[in-house]
Amino acid sequence: MIAEIGHFSLVLAFTLALVQFAVPLAGTRLGDARLMAVASPVTLVGFALVALSFATLITAYVQSDFSVLNVWENSHSAKPMLYKVTGVWGNHEGSMILWVFILTFFGALVAMFGRNLPDTLRANVLSIQGLVGAAFLLFILATSNPFARLTPAPMEGRDLNPVLQDIGLAVHPPMLYLGYVGFSVCFSFAAAALIEGRIDAAWARWVRPWTLAAWIFLTGGIAMGSYWAYYELGWGGWWFWDPVENASFMPWLSGTALLHSAIVMEKRSALKIWTLLLAILTFSLSLMGTFLVRSGVLTSVHAFATDPARGVFILVLLILFIGGSLALFAVRASSLTAGGLFHPISREGSLVLNNLFLTTATATVLLGTLYPMLVEAVSGEKISVGAPFFNLTFIPLAVPLLLAVPFGPLLAWKRGDLYAVAQRLFFAFGGALLVMLIGYFFVDGTGVLAAFGMGLAAWLMLGAMTDLALKAGVGGVSGSVAWRRFRGLPRSVFGTALAHFGLGVTVLGIATVTSLDVEEVTVMRPGDTLPVAGYALKFEDIAPYRGPNFTEDRARFTYFDAAGRPKGEIISSKRVYTARQMPTTEAGIATRGFSQLYVSLGDVAPDGGLVVRVWWKPLVLLIWLGGVVMMAGGVISLLDRRLRVGAPARRKTKAVPAGVAAE
Amino acid sequence: MAFWIFAALLTIAACLAVLLPAMSGRASAGADADHDLTVYQDQLAELERDVERGVIDPQEAAEARAEIGRRILKISGEKQMAATSSQIGKVIATCAVLMVPLASWGVYSVTGSPDLPSQPLEARLSKDPSESSIEELIARAEKHLVANPQDARGWEVLAPIYYRVGRFQDSVTAWRSAISISGQNAAREIGLADALTAEAGGVIVADARQAYERALRLEPGNPKARFALAAALSQEGRVEDAQKALRELLADLPADSPWRGAINQALASTNGDDGNLTSDNAQSEMIENMVAGLDQRLREQPQDPAGWQRLIHSYVVLGRMEQAKDALARGLEALGADSEAGNELSAFAAERGLSAKE
Repeated sequence: MIAEIGHFSLVLAFTLALVQFAVPLAGTRLGDARLMAVASPVTLVGFALVALSFATLITAYVQSDFSVLNVWENSHSAKPMLYKVTGVWGNHEGSMILWVFILTFFGALVAMFGRNLPDTLRANVLSIQGLVGAAFLLFILATSNPFARLTPAPMEGRDLNPVLQDIGLAVHPPMLYLGYVGFSVCFSFAAAALIEGRIDAAWARWVRPWTLAAWIFLTGGIAMGSYWAYYELGWGGWWFWDPVENASFMPWLSGTALLHSAIVMEKRSALKIWTLLLAILTFSLSLMGTFLVRSGVLTSVHAFATDPARGVFILVLLILFIGGSLALFAVRASSLTAGGLFHPISREGSLVLNNLFLTTATATVLLGTLYPMLVEAVSGEKISVGAPFFNLTFIPLAVPLLLAVPFGPLLAWKRGDLYAVAQRLFFAFGGALLVMLIGYFFVDGTGVLAAFGMGLAAWLMLGAMTDLALKAGVGGVSGSVAWRRFRGLPRSVFGTALAHFGLGVTVLGIATVTSLDVEEVTVMRPGDTLPVAGYALKFEDIAPYRGPNFTEDRARFTYFDAAGRPKGEIISSKRVYTARQMPTTEAGIATRGFSQLYVSLGDVAPDGGLVVRVWWKPLVLLIWLGGVVMMAGGVISLLDRRLRVGAPARRKTKAVPAGVAAE
Repeated sequence: MAFWIFAALLTIAACLAVLLPAMSGRASAGADADHDLTVYQDQLAELERDVERGVIDPQEAAEARAEIGRRILKISGEKQMAATSSQIGKVIATCAVLMVPLASWGVYSVTGSPDLPSQPLEARLSKDPSESSIEELIARAEKHLVANPQDARGWEVLAPIYYRVGRFQDSVTAWRSAISISGQNAAREIGLADALTAEAGGVIVADARQAYERALRLEPGNPKARFALAAALSQEGRVEDAQKALRELLADLPADSPWRGAINQALASTNGDDGNLTSDNAQSEMIENMVAGLDQRLREQPQDPAGWQRLIHSYVVLGRMEQAKDALARGLEALGADSEAGNELSAFAAERGLSAKE
């Protein structure tokens, strides 16, 4: 019965989503306040129904109810409890439920915290959210129903893909979806603005927190996914330019551009077209990511099931949403009034430059991702566009943008003085140059490119600190005054500086890992010792071990520093998951500071030795730590009071003192 | 019943979410301009704070103030559309409220299975054994054996049950476990050999033959083992030897042995033209039954990659290439030709000279 309740509430949520789309929209068209008032309660109840449905599916997994087809296909009674729960979204049907759950969650947030929005705008935003929700609920019910039943019920399930039986599954998909789906709110805001034909600075302020929230989660989701792939797949790589990775990276690039455009629009009422189009583009890219992953055009760990019907369905949705929103844009484009004017050298100008680079970079990644599929569709030939393409196209676009980043926050609005800003960045530039020279001459194995990468990272980090120092007035005022001003700076200033600093941290990690990592592949026997990057790795022994639903051969290593002192133990293993008879490699990783020693087991050599791959990854953790710092920047920005505009007090005169309304 | 009550409650809640605001909501909306004004006033306040902090120079601040002022002037110039409620609005609200139960019950009646109870595994394993199905009993025994893998008796009970329900691979594993814990004896070795033979679709493979031989060593003269070894000879094409072995067995058996009939039948058939001991006797009938049973089971539960491989292997061994091809086609259809299991099945069939393309 529990699963059937979930099924029924999902159907009910679908019909409510239709109501949520149609009724408020009719209300705004007719000017009927009662119809508009339907939006919020229906959104909240719709969310509750999807949440109930999601909870029943989790219950079915926890109870190993194999009369639910989806549970039988993806669970196993011997699986640890954590993976029983996370396994709910470790498959196509369940992950779509998570998708819709998060979609309705964001709708509910708008309904609850959107009281500061004008009634018509809120009704229209929720209406579009309802449309997106209805489309995806229909998709689930028609092609991927997780509540399909199986009778007679088998006694044991077929287990979850072993690669996914990891804590990463608990974090990566929910975060990534919070990002992907969070951008649906921006999309709904854009569509609502186009329906109303009204878009101004106030709109930009209302949409900014949603953009920021989605961006924070997407950043975290991508970073977590990258780290997961790094330690789970056993190749020691952290980014593969895999189409699925690109599918998450593209919305991040355009979402980053959207974030910056919205600032300009709020401050100067300019870049309206940029902002609207980026909001549409970002969510469209999120949808495209879903299409690529779910349609079976791609083969990867993310492609759970290959069913052409699903692919066609999502493709139709994609065309309808992108086509519909662009058509709306075409109709309304003429009515968009030009905003504030600005000089090319100004904060606005620098953000336009930022948008140009980011969208071009997005287009490059899109081309590299879709081209092989187009070629295969047209000629049937399988080609692969790998890292060389992206390194040649993406990096040349990213480097000038990164070089320009420290200038942006220092330029004044309307008209800036590039020369003066350059002077103020003198220390950051000097510092970066110094890092570059030290890197080149004093660190073993660095080439020109690696040194340049380190310099670039230093430039970004020092640039961010310069921004803070200058805004606090360091150099111009006394130390205590500067400290007081520093503490009084708006949180968004810290947010910007932290996010840009985090970018530098990631660049530093990338630069050191790509140029300085050490790889050793060798055959080892118990007792053998292998020197790696100043450490000595000793293969102690290998022994069988039995886990709850797997058996494994555990190899135990210890490692010693240059002076021969033992530093710790590394366990690396080869597992076989019994239900699927599927082998996986579990890499052994030892962390020293921000660097890691990574041990992965290969096959047993004919003479009984074990093939062992060992990497020394200098500063590798900085790649993801940078992402965490960026997220922190986003969170601090989100806490800035300027993003928390109160609702107007009803029936009050307009002479409310400005300071009161702001709180 | 509980389901229907719960579903009805959910439906009522959903209808109320539409009905209440549409009927009792306030008749007019607040003016949108008020919200815009709040934002601009907030921007002004923020500007003042920035001036205080000194992060913005006074001239820039003055310009920004003028710009925000222009925005405020602009919205006060806009005409507000007064929101009201209308007749057509009531019709829309009524339709929406009606649509919620009609559409949801309509869709659910097509997609749902309201009468199918939940079947949590724990509950299924702990109910009265006399009410349990054979699968549930097997699962219960399996669970017990995972916890107590050294329970030889458990393995020995489970192994023939596996064999009977057609899970030959599991039967092999169970017999091996029983042998490794409590040692070899003729009955276990024969059970293992039978399971191995069934697993191979009726062909007495090398492992099975060795097990029969071990059984014979442990219990010299065991008729079952001798019969099976003779059948193995015949399968290898050594018909003369097979007949000789059968005649010796017949001579050794007491007059009332139940094996006599089967042996005589086997001898009669090998005297015929095809010379294959297994072509027309009790054992071949058993193989036929087994293969047919497997075929039937896969029609009902097609999501079984190992089962399809076993079925194809059996048909190939029996020389029925048409049926093997048919099984391959059905297997690929059930598993999905492009899926991993489908690819494995194709590769498995290709090794046995079958191709899905024909």
